[in-house]
Amino acid sequence: MKHYAVRRLLQLIPILFAITFLSYGMMRLAGSDVVEQKMENTGGTVSQEMIDAAREELGLDKPFIVQYVTWLGKLAQGDMGVSYVSGKPVFSTFVSKLPATLLLAVVSILLTVIVSIPLGIWSAVNQNKAADYVIRTASFIGNSLPNFFVSLLLMYFFAIRLNWFPVISRDVSLQSVALPSVTLAIAMSAKYLRQVRATVLDELSKDYVLGAKARGVKFSTTMMKSVMKASLVTIITLLTLSIGSLLGGTAIVESIFMWDGVGKMAVDAINMRDYPIIQAYVMWMAVIYVLVNLVTDVSYRYLDPRIRLGGTEQ
Amino acid sequence: MNRPVTVRVQKVKKNRIRTRLFFFLFLAVILVLVSFFADQIVPYDPYAQDLGLSRQPPSPAHFMGTDQYGRDVFSRVVVGAKASVFSTLVLVCVTSVFGTVTGTLCGYFGREIDSVVMRISDVCLAFPGLVFALAIAALLGGGMSNAVIALAVISWPKYARVARGQTLALKNSDFVAAAKLAGDNSAQMILRHILPNILGPILVTAMLDIGTMMMELAGLSFLGLGAQPPVAEWGNMMSGGRSMLQTYPWLVLSPGVAIFLTVVTFNLLGDTVRDYMDPKNSGS
Amino acid sequence: MKKILAVLLVLCIAAGILSGCGGGANTPAASGKKKIFVFGDTTFNAENEEPDINPHNAYSGWPCIRYGVGETLMKIADDGTLKPWLAKSVTNVNETTWEIVIKDAVRFSNGKKCDAAAVKACLEHLVKVHERAAGNLKIASMKADGQKLTIVTSEPNPILMNYLSEGYGCIIDMETGIPKNGCVVGTGPFVATEVVTDNHVKLVKNTNYWDGNVKIDEVTVRTISNGDTLAMALQSGEINGAYGMAYASYPLFENNKFKFSSIQTSRCFWGMMNFHKENPGYRIMSDPAVRKAIAMGINKKGFVDVLLKGYGYTAAGAFPDSFAFGKGINTVSYDPGQAKKILQEAGWVDTDGDGIREKDGTRLAIRWLTYPSRQELPLLAESAQATLKDIGIEVQINNTKNHNSIRKDPQAWDVWVSANVNAGLGDPQNFFDTYCLDSSIKNSGGHHSDNLEKLAVQLRGAFDPGERAKIAVKMQQELLDDNSYFFCSFLRMSMIMQANVTGLTAHTCDFYELTADLDIK
Repeated sequence: MKHYAVRRLLQLIPILFAITFLSYGMMRLAGSDVVEQKMENTGGTVSQEMIDAAREELGLDKPFIVQYVTWLGKLAQGDMGVSYVSGKPVFSTFVSKLPATLLLAVVSILLTVIVSIPLGIWSAVNQNKAADYVIRTASFIGNSLPNFFVSLLLMYFFAIRLNWFPVISRDVSLQSVALPSVTLAIAMSAKYLRQVRATVLDELSKDYVLGAKARGVKFSTTMMKSVMKASLVTIITLLTLSIGSLLGGTAIVESIFMWDGVGKMAVDAINMRDYPIIQAYVMWMAVIYVLVNLVTDVSYRYLDPRIRLGGTEQ
Repeated sequence: MNRPVTVRVQKVKKNRIRTRLFFFLFLAVILVLVSFFADQIVPYDPYAQDLGLSRQPPSPAHFMGTDQYGRDVFSRVVVGAKASVFSTLVLVCVTSVFGTVTGTLCGYFGREIDSVVMRISDVCLAFPGLVFALAIAALLGGGMSNAVIALAVISWPKYARVARGQTLALKNSDFVAAAKLAGDNSAQMILRHILPNILGPILVTAMLDIGTMMMELAGLSFLGLGAQPPVAEWGNMMSGGRSMLQTYPWLVLSPGVAIFLTVVTFNLLGDTVRDYMDPKNSGS
Repeated sequence: MKKILAVLLVLCIAAGILSGCGGGANTPAASGKKKIFVFGDTTFNAENEEPDINPHNAYSGWPCIRYGVGETLMKIADDGTLKPWLAKSVTNVNETTWEIVIKDAVRFSNGKKCDAAAVKACLEHLVKVHERAAGNLKIASMKADGQKLTIVTSEPNPILMNYLSEGYGCIIDMETGIPKNGCVVGTGPFVATEVVTDNHVKLVKNTNYWDGNVKIDEVTVRTISNGDTLAMALQSGEINGAYGMAYASYPLFENNKFKFSSIQTSRCFWGMMNFHKENPGYRIMSDPAVRKAIAMGINKKGFVDVLLKGYGYTAAGAFPDSFAFGKGINTVSYDPGQAKKILQEAGWVDTDGDGIREKDGTRLAIRWLTYPSRQELPLLAESAQATLKDIGIEVQINNTKNHNSIRKDPQAWDVWVSANVNAGLGDPQNFFDTYCLDSSIKNSGGHHSDNLEKLAVQLRGAFDPGERAKIAVKMQQELLDDNSYFFCSFLRMSMIMQANVTGLTAHTCDFYELTADLDIK
C-alpha cells in the first residue's frame, strides 16, 4: 500500500512539470506580447523605451526555456505575476477565490452521493417495477439537460416563484450554495445513479447473494454489507472520472449564479484576455485534478482488494 | 440477471433490443438529415430581420414565435441543428478515428511510440475537461470551429486508451498468434484482425459521447466562447434569450427543448447500441 | 428494505433542512435595525474602464461619484448648468485664472477638513497620473490659501469647471492617498470599505457627512453582468435597485411593487470609422460612398422603437437637440434604396451572387467592434448587421469585453461602436477633445480634418455659450458631411427599484446615483 502510494507520487513529478510547461507555453503563445497586453489593458499610451524596459524587467528578452525556469522559480514562491485588469497579485486572487469553488464542489459531491446511492439501490431492488422506471426516467432526463438550462430553470422556480434561495450569492453560505450545487449535482447524480444500479444488480445476481437468499438469510442484511461496499467503489471510480467535468462545470454555473469562485474568475478573465489569471486557473485546476486523482486511486485500492492484486492500469 | 434463461427468451430480448435500436437510429438519422438540409427546409430565412414582427408569441405562422429582431425562432432552431448536431458529429468522428488509430498503433507496436503517445495523452488528461477547453478557447478566441478544436484536444485520449487496451488484449490472443504464423504482416494484422474486433467498444464510447459533447459545445457557446452572433446555435440562442425567460419564454425554451430532445435521442441510441453489443444479450 | 427507507427518510430530512434554511431570508432591507441597500449595476467593471473607485484611475471616477463616495467642486444640473457643490463660489478672474472658494463645512469622511490645500493636493496628483484629465484641465499652477484655491491654466479653458465636475474631479484625501485596498477617502455620504474588481464594492454611512444626515447604514453595489440575473435579483428582493436592466425585462417591473426613475440623457450610441492606412480595411473605409451607405443603412428608428422599446430617441448629431449645440444638424436618414444606388454608382457591385458587393476584388465586409456591458450595443450591432446586409455590406461583429485594447490596434477593426455620455458635462467640447481631434486620446480611428482642428481651437477659446454652441454645430456637421462618424440614438436611461425605495433618481449626466437622500421606507 505504502509502496504504491510512493510510486504514484513519483509518477506525478513529470506530469506536474508537463502541466506547468504547457500552462506557461500556452499563455506565451497567446497572441501579442505580454508587455503590450498589459500596457493596453491599463490604458494610456506608452513609449517604445518603456516597453523595452518592461520587457527586460520581466526577462522576456531571454530564451524561452530560461524564461520558463525563472517563472517556475517565482511560482515556487507563490509569485504568478499580477492581473492585467485589477493589478492585484494573481496568486492571492486565486487563493482568495478557491475556497468558494471547493465548497461548491464538495457540496455538489455530497448531494450527489446522498441522492445517487440510495436511489440507485432502491431502483435495483425494485428492478422493472414502477419505482425503477420513475427513477431511471428521472435520471435520464437529468443526464440530458445542459447545466446552463438547469440553472435557469432552477433560478426561475426556486428563487423567483418560491423565493426559497437567493438568485445571486451574497456570501459563501449554505443558502447561497444550494442552487448552484443542485445544478451540478443533478447531472452527476443522474450519471452515478445508473452506475450504482448496474453495480447493485450485478452484485445481487452473484451466487453468494442467491445462496444466502436460499438459506433464508434476511435479504437486507446481506445487501447492506456487500452491496453498499460495491457501490461505494463504483461511486469513487466515477468521482475520479468526473471530478474533471465538475471542476470545469463550475465555470458555467458560477458565472450564472454570480458565485465568486475561480470558475467565474476564469470566465471573466477569458473575456478580458487577462492571461496571467487564465494561466493560474488552468495550471492550478490541473494540479488539483491530478492530486484528487491520486488520492482516489490510492483509496480505491484500499477499498477493493481485488484491484490491489490485479494491478489494472489507471 | 443471471437467472437461467432459455435460448428462446434470449432471442426475444435480442429482438426487442434490435427494434429499439432501429427506432432510435431512425430518429437520429432524421436529426442528422435535418441538420444537413436545414437551409432547404426552413420556412423563413433564419437571419432575416423584421422589426415589425418583434417578439411575437407562437402562432400558426411562427410555430415557435419570433425573437426581438423579428426572426422566426423555428427556422433558427432548425438551422441551429446544423451548428449543434453537425459540429458534434464531426467532433466525435474526428476524435474517435484519431484516438482509435493512435491507440491501436500504440497497443500494437508498443515501445517508444506507445510511451510517447501515452505520455501526451496523460498530459491532456491531466487537465480537467472543460478547464482545458476554456483555456484553448481563450487562446484561439471565440468561434464554433475553435470550440470544436478545444473539445477535440481533450477528448481523443479517451478513445486512444480504449483502443490501446483492447489491442493489447487481442495481441496476446490465440487467433492473432495464429494469423501471425500464417504470415500476415502488420498492416494486414491491424486491418483484418484487430480493428474489426475493437470497433464495438469504440462505437459504444462514441455513441455515449455524442450527448455529452453536444452539451459541452452548447455550454461554450452559452459562455460566448463558441458560436458568435448572429449564427443560430442552440447554446448561443439560449444565452441571447436569457433575459427574456420570464417575458418571452419561447426564446429560451425553444432552443433549450431542442438541445434536450436531441441529447435524449443520442443518449438513448448510445444506450441501445451498448445493450446490443453486450455479449450478455447476444442470442447467437 | 427498512434500512433503505431509513436512508431515504434521512435524505428527505436533509433536503428539508436545506430548503428550510433558505426560506424567506431574501429581504436585505429588513435585517435588524440597520438599513441596508443593495444596488445591482451592469456597468461597474473593468470592461468599462471602471475596475475600482479610485477617481485618478481610468474611468473609475464614475463609480466614485455615482455611488456617493466622492464629490466634485460643482454639480451638473439636469439642464446642463453648473451648480456649486463642494465649492461655495467660482470666479473667472480672467481667461486663464479661476478663483474657487471651498465651503467651510466640507469634511472628508475621515473627519479631516477639506480646505483649498487638500483640493490642490488631490488635483496635483490627478494631473500627474491621469492623462485624459491633464489634457482636459490644462492646469499650469495652483495656489491654496485657506478655503480659497486659485487655478491658473496654461491656455484659456472656458469649461474648466465642467471638466472638474467629471468623475475624475472627485476630491479625495491625498494624505490617505490611494490605499492598496482601493478604498479612497472622499467627502461623499458613503465610505468604501471593500472593493473587489468585477464583483462588488461595500459602503457604509459617512457619519461625518458635511451635508445632512445619511439615511442608509450600509450599501453593497454588486456588479451583475447578466441582464436576467439582475432582473431576477430585483424580483426576488435581493437587490433594492438596479441600473442597466434589459429592456425586455421591463414588463416584469411595470407594476406597483416597483418604481422607475427615467430621464432623457445625452448617452449616445455612436460609431467611429477607422481611417488608418495600415488597416486591411482601408480601401473600404476610405471610400466616402461606403461610409455614406453605412450611415444610410442603419435603421435608427427601428432600433429605438423596437429594440429599446421606445426608451430613447433617434440622433442626428452627437448631442440631443434639447441643447443649443444639438440643434439644426443635417445628416442622412435611413434609406436602403438610396444607399444601394450610392454603392452601385461607386462601383461596388455584387458579381458573385452571394449578396455582398465587391469592387476590384475587394469584398465589402466591415469589422464592427463593440462591447456587451451596454446591453443596447449588441442589439444595435445585430440590427445593423441585417440592414447593412440588405444593401450588400457584410458586417462581422466583434462583441467583446476586451474592446478597449482592440480599438488601439489600428488593424483590428473598421467601425468601433460605443455608448458615451456626450454632453454629460453640459458642454460639447469634451466629446471632440476625447474622440475626434489629432490630440484626442480616444481618436482610435485616426480621423483627421484640418477644418475640424481649426474649429476646435476656436471652441477652446470661446467663453460665450451661444458662440460655443454655433461652433459645436459646425464641428458636428464637419464629422457628418464626410460620414466619418455616425450617431444612432440617445438613451432614455432608467433605474428600477423596489417601491419602498426613495431618493434614487436618474440624472441626465448619469452621475449621482447613491446620495444622502437615498432611503428605504
